[in-house]
Amino acid sequence: MIKFKKGIAFKLALIFSGSVILIFLMIFGLYYRFTRAMIEKNTAENAKNLTLGTVARIEGILRSVQQVPENMAGALERGPVSKEELLDMVKSAVKKNPELYGSAIAFAPYAFDGTSFYYAPYYFRDKGSLSCVWLGNANYRYFMQDWFQIPKELGKAQWSEPYYDEGGGNALMATYSVPFYRMVKGKRTFSGVITADMSLKWLRDMVSAIKILDTGYAFLLSRNGTFVTHPREKLIMNETIFGVAEELDDKSLRDIGRDMISGKAGFVHSPKINAGRPGLLYYSPVTSSGWSLAVLFPQAELMADITHLNWLVLILSAAGMLILCIVVVYEARSITGPLTGMADATAEIAAGNLDFKMPETRSEDEVGILSRAFSAMQKSLKSHIARLTEATAAKERIESELNIAREIQLSILPKIFPPFPEMPGLDLFAVLKSAREVGGDLYDFFAMDDDHFCFVIGDVSGKGVPASLFMAVTKTLFKATALKDTPPEVVLDKVNNELSKGNEKSMFVTAFFAILNIRTGVIEFSNGGHNLPVVIRKDGSMEYLWRTGGMVVGAMEGIKFERGALTLASGDRFFLYTDGVTEAMDESKVLFSEERLLKELKLLEGLPVKEVLNRLLKMLVEYSKGDQSDDITMMLLEYQGPKQ
Amino acid sequence: MNISTKKESTALVVTVSGRMDAVTAPEFEKSISDFITQGEKAFVVNLSGLEYISSAGLRSILACAKRLKEQSGKLIFSGLQGHVKEVFSISGFNGIFKIYESDAEGLKGV
Repeated sequence: MIKFKKGIAFKLALIFSGSVILIFLMIFGLYYRFTRAMIEKNTAENAKNLTLGTVARIEGILRSVQQVPENMAGALERGPVSKEELLDMVKSAVKKNPELYGSAIAFAPYAFDGTSFYYAPYYFRDKGSLSCVWLGNANYRYFMQDWFQIPKELGKAQWSEPYYDEGGGNALMATYSVPFYRMVKGKRTFSGVITADMSLKWLRDMVSAIKILDTGYAFLLSRNGTFVTHPREKLIMNETIFGVAEELDDKSLRDIGRDMISGKAGFVHSPKINAGRPGLLYYSPVTSSGWSLAVLFPQAELMADITHLNWLVLILSAAGMLILCIVVVYEARSITGPLTGMADATAEIAAGNLDFKMPETRSEDEVGILSRAFSAMQKSLKSHIARLTEATAAKERIESELNIAREIQLSILPKIFPPFPEMPGLDLFAVLKSAREVGGDLYDFFAMDDDHFCFVIGDVSGKGVPASLFMAVTKTLFKATALKDTPPEVVLDKVNNELSKGNEKSMFVTAFFAILNIRTGVIEFSNGGHNLPVVIRKDGSMEYLWRTGGMVVGAMEGIKFERGALTLASGDRFFLYTDGVTEAMDESKVLFSEERLLKELKLLEGLPVKEVLNRLLKMLVEYSKGDQSDDITMMLLEYQGPKQ
Repeated sequence: MNISTKKESTALVVTVSGRMDAVTAPEFEKSISDFITQGEKAFVVNLSGLEYISSAGLRSILACAKRLKEQSGKLIFSGLQGHVKEVFSISGFNGIFKIYESDAEGLKGV
């Protein structure tokens, strides 16, 4: 599993999931922002409509209540009324207006008829029927009450703060008081106050009927911030919004309360308004009474749908991600599985186990192709190695044969120097170094008779095995042909004719054949297209032999060769070589050359013949930096004077 | 070694440059052999650009000459110089082949 984690499957899963999560989060974030903004916008709109609608309804009712005492005031100001008329006026007003809990016409002292100190009939609903009481006695001097005093002093109609009427209606109510005036001695004089009591019960019912989502609600505040309606009963008339703000330690709620009682409208987000939890609040003033209505939307509920949806999306995404990961891992493993198998198999093959079985795959994809390619590689490796083994064996066989051939070839060359101790007056040394195992150069020397000494040097065209076979034939032919009293050009004629017969490959040999008369120092020679030997006189002068006409040997049957002759004095030397010497090449393919050869021979003058050739050979090996391009053969002969 | 050819009215002029040794000689031999197979019978081989010739190169020339002789063809050389001229001289090749200074003379000699 640890191995797997670092593999392709893990990387793929990581990359895919990472990318998808990133994309999803971006989409989700945008989606959430837009939905939230849309919901808040809708909420604000709804809240505004709802609040203003409710305010309008409350205002409507308040105005219809206000209408009643205002009408009565108008009637009273037009002229004096009788007691009956007065009672009837109040009674019918309460009766006709169901929203009225009660109504009173409270005269100022002595204002009704100049005799009554208290004059204030009050009709109110008492358990379904209308009851009438006369207000005013020593304990209840009504003209000292707020509902009488305030309109009188202000000189205008006025809603009282809501209050709980204990003993009277036993109900929560608010009173609208309208002052009325009469002309006394031509002067408009305050005569009393007409009141209309409105039960706040139905107002409460109306406000609490406003349903906002599941737990949202509306509430009404009085002028000083007291709760007039609120779903929590104990707050009503007992608490102000400021008290609640204090209790919750919520400064923003205090600011909201201040705004509300000063008659402002607004839409705010309050973190603790909904019993300590966040909510959205819309408020608007009820102008006629100076109250303020607020509608609260609980944040959690408002966002419930979207929160729910978010969870759904998150769960679905997580599930999708899980499926994606499983699929990716599964697919990746289907790829890496065979790859791992192949890697193991390859390691086995690399270790030399060529018969190791490759894991099979029927897949047509790249992995399948790779697997089949591996199998093919394994097969071809196997056959290749088998061939290589065979070839190596064959090569080793040929090499060993070549080594034997080399030994045979070298063994047919004379190697005893000086050659004939019984033939004094002659010193000779020869070296032959093949470029390959076997070569096409040859040299030979032998005595024809007591006085005549033969020597030959030759170079077969080409190198290697074919040349070596031709060389062996040539050497044998020379020896067989150079019989007593045969002139050198005749020897070449015969050897040439023998070699030319059936010479399909057009091979040939360049050869210099010579016969030295030990007694006289005369050399008779014939040149078959061979490099010109060097004559080194005892006095140090040296020169290449002149050219006699002569074709290479073996190229064409019937060619005639020419004879040349020179005489050696005692101490003169005769140097023969093949073109491996003058055409030895250095790294830049520059030939050793005849000129250089002559120069070096001069420098080696006077040294023993063996020493001269060994030094020259060493020099040539160094010149070609060990990369010998052709067979090298040299022969140096020193004539030491007539035979004793 | 580079081999280029130019067809003239009487013969095919083959210009050989570079080095003709044991490695490149078979290439020359095969080239000439192919032309013989195609029916060419007269060749003027220009060796003015040849720097070096080994005994293997001489053998290839000899093989070509033999094949041409069977077909009554002609092998003529031109432009020999330096080492190559010397090798032709030493080996006696100048005795069995017609050798001219230039292609034009060679073509006349065909």
